[in-house]
Amino acid sequence: MSATADIVRAGRNAGSFGVSRVLLGLCLAVACVAPFVLNGYGLYILTLTGVFALVALGLNLLTGYAGQISLCHAAFFGVGAYATAILTQKAGFPYLLSIFVGGLLTAAVGAVVAVPAMRLKSLYLAIATLGFGVVLQKIIFEWRSLTNGGGGLALNPPAIAGYQLDATGLYYLTLTLVMLGLWGASNISSGRTGRALMIIKESEIAAGALGIPAARYKVIAFALSAFYAAVAGGLFAYLVRYIHPENFSVGLSIAFLSMVVIGGLGTIGGSIVGAAFYVIVPELLRGIKDAPGLVFGLLLVIVMVLMPQGLWGLARRLGRRA
Amino acid sequence: MARLSIEDVSVDFGGIHALRDVSFALESSAIVGLIGPNGAGKSTLLNCISGITRPTKGRVRLDDAVLSTLPPATVASRGVGRVFQHPELVVDLSVRENLQIACHRSLRYGLASEFLKLPHVRAAERAAGRRVDEVLDRLGLLDSGEVAIRNLPYGHRKLVDLGRALLMDISFLLLDEPIAGLNDAEVARLRDLLLRLREDLGLGILVVEHNMPFVSRLCDHLVVLDLGQLIANGAPADVLRDPRVMASYLGEDA
Repeated sequence: MSATADIVRAGRNAGSFGVSRVLLGLCLAVACVAPFVLNGYGLYILTLTGVFALVALGLNLLTGYAGQISLCHAAFFGVGAYATAILTQKAGFPYLLSIFVGGLLTAAVGAVVAVPAMRLKSLYLAIATLGFGVVLQKIIFEWRSLTNGGGGLALNPPAIAGYQLDATGLYYLTLTLVMLGLWGASNISSGRTGRALMIIKESEIAAGALGIPAARYKVIAFALSAFYAAVAGGLFAYLVRYIHPENFSVGLSIAFLSMVVIGGLGTIGGSIVGAAFYVIVPELLRGIKDAPGLVFGLLLVIVMVLMPQGLWGLARRLGRRA
Repeated sequence: MARLSIEDVSVDFGGIHALRDVSFALESSAIVGLIGPNGAGKSTLLNCISGITRPTKGRVRLDDAVLSTLPPATVASRGVGRVFQHPELVVDLSVRENLQIACHRSLRYGLASEFLKLPHVRAAERAAGRRVDEVLDRLGLLDSGEVAIRNLPYGHRKLVDLGRALLMDISFLLLDEPIAGLNDAEVARLRDLLLRLREDLGLGILVVEHNMPFVSRLCDHLVVLDLGQLIANGAPADVLRDPRVMASYLGEDA
């Protein structure tokens, strides 16, 4: 009996729930007061962390849960940014509606990208999505009448219900959407869709035997993940207020994938931690003369070697031991 | 009373005849053993029935509906469950969570409701949880519900895989080498469980298995394949006395 109890205690959920609740509460409290403490640049960095965390949340559903690698998330992020900017600035949509519509449009693009995913796996899928990313970036570049091509788009501060959103306002909007995205991703990961994605990652044949059509769920995962990236893009556009096709290159896609892996594949909380690590650590290393890039690169190697399940996996192990 | 019919099924893999004109039927509450030497085509036949492999010729029917043109997920949702030789479970999840995966078809809520975890989603999940409890009870695994699969003995993993099939409201169950890797006590327990499933749910069961004592004590009917052809079909005692079966499957000296 006690042996069973030990195994149960060592089970996946034991401990992690309490730890994640406490961590979430702490982070939220700090995040709420941050604008009163930070200067403009600090607030920008924190908003950027939130924006990237949203992308990482969606990418983790796709890569961590469903096991589908994507190297075109920077392009989804870009399509969302441009769609939001164009709908707000040129079509005169309210900002929040533009973000939502931009998300839906990008989700449709994501569903199209999922078509090769039905046939391809692992590295082959990575290369195919990389190709898609390049194509999407090129379309943004060439569709000058809409996107102003290489000239980029300069944006005015957005307004919500007549109230013009300054840096602090955009920060709180980002924080709200991150919390909503976190809650939704957590609900999905523990619901029917999340479970379907996990069994597809394990074995598509086993999924089929359980009446779960792998192809349909890959499309759903890509579309949902693209929606998250696009909403983040809509926030990013108005954070930097000048967007250019070069912002959304493959390098950024690799950065998104790194965030998810560093934070912990298949962990919702890990997405936030991974994004924070990726954005904030290089800022903290700025003081190191000449070599911030070098130190950050080495840190990535160390994290991966010592914590193959990512930072969140480590936190969970420590929480369990405590 | 449902009937699963295999009608003149042939499968060619690039010139190799994996199955040739195989026909037999499985009815509700029947337990049929599918036996034959390695390479006889047993797994190919299971794959044909569950929609993983398309027959080159012939068809599989469930009553009047043709199954052999449908994808695996649709075949499964029509009530033909499959348990694989090696259970493919999500090892990081608990027994209960793995069983919940199989409630997929019965949970009908949409993605937006799931995102917002609306009240009807919570209610549906609670109902699914109760069905999982019933299956855990039937499998004798109620105490292990929260155990992660990675900490579960192999025999219990096979039971969880069987439990997933049971959660899908199946009328037929295909089992691929269910006792491989089990100890004597687990084998006896599995036999009792299968007999009870037939009794309680009227399941028709098709079982591929090499262990002759197990097969002859469990099944009321045996189908023998050799080199893709059906060479015998009848009661276990008769089939095992058939000279062709003894020659091809059990060896001359058996």
